[in-house]
Amino acid sequence: MVLIIGGSHQGKLDFARERFALSDADVFLCDGSAEQIDTSRRCVACVDRWALNRLRAGADPLAEMEAILPRLKDAVVIATDISAGVVPVDPLMRAWREACGRMTALLAAEADEVWRLFCGLPQRLK
Amino acid sequence: MSTYISGGCKMGKSMWAQRIALAYAGREPLYYIATMLPGDEEDEARIRRHREERAGLGFITLERGRDILLALDGADPSGAFLVDSVTALLANEMFDARGFYPEAGEKVADDLEAFVARAPNTVIVSDFIFSDAAIYDDTTEAYRAALALVDRRMAARCDNVLEIAAGIPIIHKGVLPI
Repeated sequence: MVLIIGGSHQGKLDFARERFALSDADVFLCDGSAEQIDTSRRCVACVDRWALNRLRAGADPLAEMEAILPRLKDAVVIATDISAGVVPVDPLMRAWREACGRMTALLAAEADEVWRLFCGLPQRLK
Repeated sequence: MSTYISGGCKMGKSMWAQRIALAYAGREPLYYIATMLPGDEEDEARIRRHREERAGLGFITLERGRDILLALDGADPSGAFLVDSVTALLANEMFDARGFYPEAGEKVADDLEAFVARAPNTVIVSDFIFSDAAIYDDTTEAYRAALALVDRRMAARCDNVLEIAAGIPIIHKGVLPI
């Protein structure tokens, strides 16, 4: 597995497309309504948005991610780092922030490569 | 040699930017381009105080809240320039009393690219505001996307790209030019 992290709009998906020669059809982009990750794709992007959707549905995204990890072992996973702002007042957003931190650490532990994007520039962390 | 600096709030970005600009200047003039437009009396007092502090370091302050290229009119382009900050410049270009200009990110990136082409010894300071747990309204999100667009275009264009974390520079591209 390859994990790519970084803040919003930092060029994570552009980097993934170029480095791993991904086509549009290879990428499962989690939007505001994604409930189930399509693990047949080569790349899963915005798992942070998926985690928020699952929390809104009352589910546990960390446990669900752990369960599908074996099916992501050859995937490129992209997670936005949402860990470095003010603690949100809203309990749902607080739970989201914590779930994303734990999920990112879980993915990084599994990943063979971890990259961080900053202003469009990649840095390999693992 | 151009340098682009970003990082979190109060991490030491401006301090590093000043040190690098001082190193660039040598015997050439040293300019500080202030991009903040004063909103009230308190801002004006703060700006006066900062200008006096910088004058002690040898900086000539030029105030340009918009159209940053105009700051080069009458300045010596072989001097050193410190642009602080992209964040304020973009906000001024994107929002005014009459409305919201979504194309401001492209405009600011075009202007800064042209600026660096004419004045190569430039240090530019931005702010990293992209890692918080919030879903923003469309206007705020458009501003964040525009700032990141400027960051990415300028990171590609500049010789050095630094992230300042806890006062420590992380070199993402080039060198620490001191």
